[in-house]
Amino acid sequence: MTPLAWLVLVGVGSPAALFAILAAASLIAPAAPPLRRPFTARREQWTARIAGAFIAASFVALSLAIAVNGSATRLLSYGDWSASREGGIAIEFLVDRLSLAFAALSAAICGVVSAFSNRYLHRERGYNRYFVLLAMFVTGMLLVALAGNVAVLFIGWELVGLSSALLVGFFHERPAPVSNALRVLSVYRISDAAMLSAAVMLRSIAGTDSLALLFSGGIGAVSTVGLTETSATIIAVLLIVAVAGKSALLPFSSWLPRAMEGPTPSSAVYYGSLSIHAGCFLLLRSAPLLEHAAGARIFAGALGLATAIFAAIATRVQSDVKSSLAFAALTQVGIIIVEISLGWYTLAFIHIVGHACFRLLQFLSAPNVLHDLHGMEDAIGDRPHAPSWTERLLSERVRRRVFLVALERGFLDSILDRVIVGPFTSIARRLSNIDRRLCNAVMPGDD
Amino acid sequence: MTDLLWLAALVALPTAVALASYVRFDVERLRTLSVAAAIAMLLTALFVARSPALRDLSIRTDALSWAPGGDAVIRLNTLSAVLLPFAAALWLLTVAVTPRAALDRGGLRRAALATLVTLASFLTESPVVLLMLSVASVWTFLSALGDPAHARQRRIVWAYLGFSTLMLAIGVAILVSPGVRHPAIEAAGLWLIVVAALVRKGIVPFHAWVPEVFDHGRLGPAILFSAPQLGAYITVVLIVPRASPEMLRLIALLALGTAVYGAALALVQRSARRACGYLFMSQSALVMAGLDCTSVTALAGGLVVWLSAGLAFGGLARCVLVLEARRGRLDLDTYHGGYERTPLLAISFLAMGLACTGFPGTLGFVGQELLVDGAVDLFPVMGFAIVIASALTGLAVLRMYFSLFCGRQDALAHSTLRFGLTRREAWTFVALVIALVAFGLAPRPLVDSRFAASSEILRLRDARLRSTP
Repeated sequence: MTPLAWLVLVGVGSPAALFAILAAASLIAPAAPPLRRPFTARREQWTARIAGAFIAASFVALSLAIAVNGSATRLLSYGDWSASREGGIAIEFLVDRLSLAFAALSAAICGVVSAFSNRYLHRERGYNRYFVLLAMFVTGMLLVALAGNVAVLFIGWELVGLSSALLVGFFHERPAPVSNALRVLSVYRISDAAMLSAAVMLRSIAGTDSLALLFSGGIGAVSTVGLTETSATIIAVLLIVAVAGKSALLPFSSWLPRAMEGPTPSSAVYYGSLSIHAGCFLLLRSAPLLEHAAGARIFAGALGLATAIFAAIATRVQSDVKSSLAFAALTQVGIIIVEISLGWYTLAFIHIVGHACFRLLQFLSAPNVLHDLHGMEDAIGDRPHAPSWTERLLSERVRRRVFLVALERGFLDSILDRVIVGPFTSIARRLSNIDRRLCNAVMPGDD
Repeated sequence: MTDLLWLAALVALPTAVALASYVRFDVERLRTLSVAAAIAMLLTALFVARSPALRDLSIRTDALSWAPGGDAVIRLNTLSAVLLPFAAALWLLTVAVTPRAALDRGGLRRAALATLVTLASFLTESPVVLLMLSVASVWTFLSALGDPAHARQRRIVWAYLGFSTLMLAIGVAILVSPGVRHPAIEAAGLWLIVVAALVRKGIVPFHAWVPEVFDHGRLGPAILFSAPQLGAYITVVLIVPRASPEMLRLIALLALGTAVYGAALALVQRSARRACGYLFMSQSALVMAGLDCTSVTALAGGLVVWLSAGLAFGGLARCVLVLEARRGRLDLDTYHGGYERTPLLAISFLAMGLACTGFPGTLGFVGQELLVDGAVDLFPVMGFAIVIASALTGLAVLRMYFSLFCGRQDALAHSTLRFGLTRREAWTFVALVIALVAFGLAPRPLVDSRFAASSEILRLRDARLRSTP
């Protein structure tokens, strides 16, 4: 293997090894009485140190990989992983400036959040569980960033999704986080299904699951793999649906405030910084495909614009700081999608990096800022208020209506319940009753 | 001769436990003996599976068939070699984690007999022997539902599986009889075997007995009867080599519909047991869909999913059984909490559920990837159906996990009651999770062996189809 291949392997392998170690400890400790001790401050320290060391190793390796690789685009293949013959899953990483930079950014941000979480979650039940899920998330983000084929991309996508849902339900002794986690996961599963369907179509039409041609080969590559404009548009639309689910674009935005039930550091890294941008990054990587599918580009642009406007209004009326910040982040995500659909790829990438770092800082400092603000309000005995531009420009009646829509977050939850969840549950329950009746018909008696 | 000695050792272990159950041992001692025998059987079966010299054994006779050369009454090949440790692992899981309240001498005897029948089934390719073993397995299952409380479920199982066995008997009779060489009659016989397999595996529209028996019958015997998936073995040995492409496609379509249907209905169930029943239907149908593809990769995927779904689903349903023993019947409409009291059970449940959904890092992922990858060229709709089924199964499993272990400060009963797992239960679940993850992370030897088995099955199919006028 070349030095670059080793560096990338260490970069991705470090958080994966961390995940394996912490997960194995969580599994085996309850079964082995000598290990079944309370999670002391000393063990917390060790967990945080180990996590910090592994994530730092990943960041250093990926930074060195950027230096070694320069501006080249390479497909690093680590051979067939699942079988020694054709048909198995191959481990392939697509390495270029974009993917390495995003991977290094992910490792750096997760390292910062890991250090912050050590103090923030001190003596918290589930301290170890948090770090297991954080390690799972870093691994997933790095795989999404560097994926060279659909299987690797999907592995990363799934790891990010599951860790996100389980962290939303981190305080699982209360019902609200748990039901919100299930709701978040439902949207993620739609996103996963859309992405896999795109992969199935790609495989069926083009006969390949390699992303190297599509992600780095330019417009010519799309034609090379045999995609017509129609098939490219269908695949691109499926990808956009996957991105919409993961990045909370309309009509899936309603899960975002629900996801704020998790601990603040995880909200910062997922919904302020990295996970919410994973969709944007995927779309950015798929630029050659989008170039070939004009309809899909317009669709993505419209979706991004609508989301940006909706989130900009919703963020102004949120009653808690995390939801407000989450909608503010969504506004920027919408704008980034518009930039990608307009073909401003460099700007979009700079926007992703800048926004991820800035919003991370805002999320992490939010509890302190809130504390200071309350102190200031107590001191002056009033809440400082200056008329906003909406008050100056819009009539009272219009403002009231917009306020109601924003407060109810566009009624998206109830619309999704009415259009998807309700009919699905009703049909499935009816079918279940038919099964019972079928059994009764075969063998009458009490159910 | 050495080959036969190894096989005799495998068969002797469950037989010895079945015989020991008639001696007046204490039930817990009998369980210890069963666990020891199951571990010994697992180790022996692993040795047999790993040993190339033992992987090509065939004893044929023409006493049970008029086909030229007769049938292989004992056949150990690449396909069955891996199924032997699978049967042993399911037996170990059953005897190690069955709660004390649900354990009796008869139950341990039935578990040993069911394992013996499964083992013998995996060691034969003779239609007549398979028919006899199928009857024996149904009889073992029915005897577990013998008490008056389960009379209705017994009648339901009797109706469905009796019909299935009858279809199998007629189909096998047509297949092996000397006078019948007309293609139309042979096809009719094969269709009857197909119906028998569909009923046994709970494929729509022959599925209604599965959720009913899981919900109101005895969960332990239902798991032991379902998890090895003898229906899948019947499909591989009797149907795949003889069926026309159209017949296989129809079975695959029904199976795919069932995979989505089972996962969708598992998501809305109020009873944890019934949700398990629908999950089993979905998993079992995925296996069936893979087996009915004529692509080497998809068939290998089906064979891998067979193992992963059997172990993961068996473990998941056993978790429900263990939890029921501590909390009573489990309703999914409320949150039960208790993660902090039984963290290992919660983690194991989640890990095995994720293995059922084909989550990356588990054996299920490898199987489903192969299934999609292999089927997509021949049968693109299969890819989409597997995607939808997997998404719905994931949601159903997470809903069950959240409901059974989260959402409440503590479990319902008094805080002084012991809720933790016993050491035997804990290590069994840990071992199962480690196995599912280890094969998921390093799947190559297993997947290579499934590729070899799949190539062999399709080679035999091609040879048989070429020889048919």
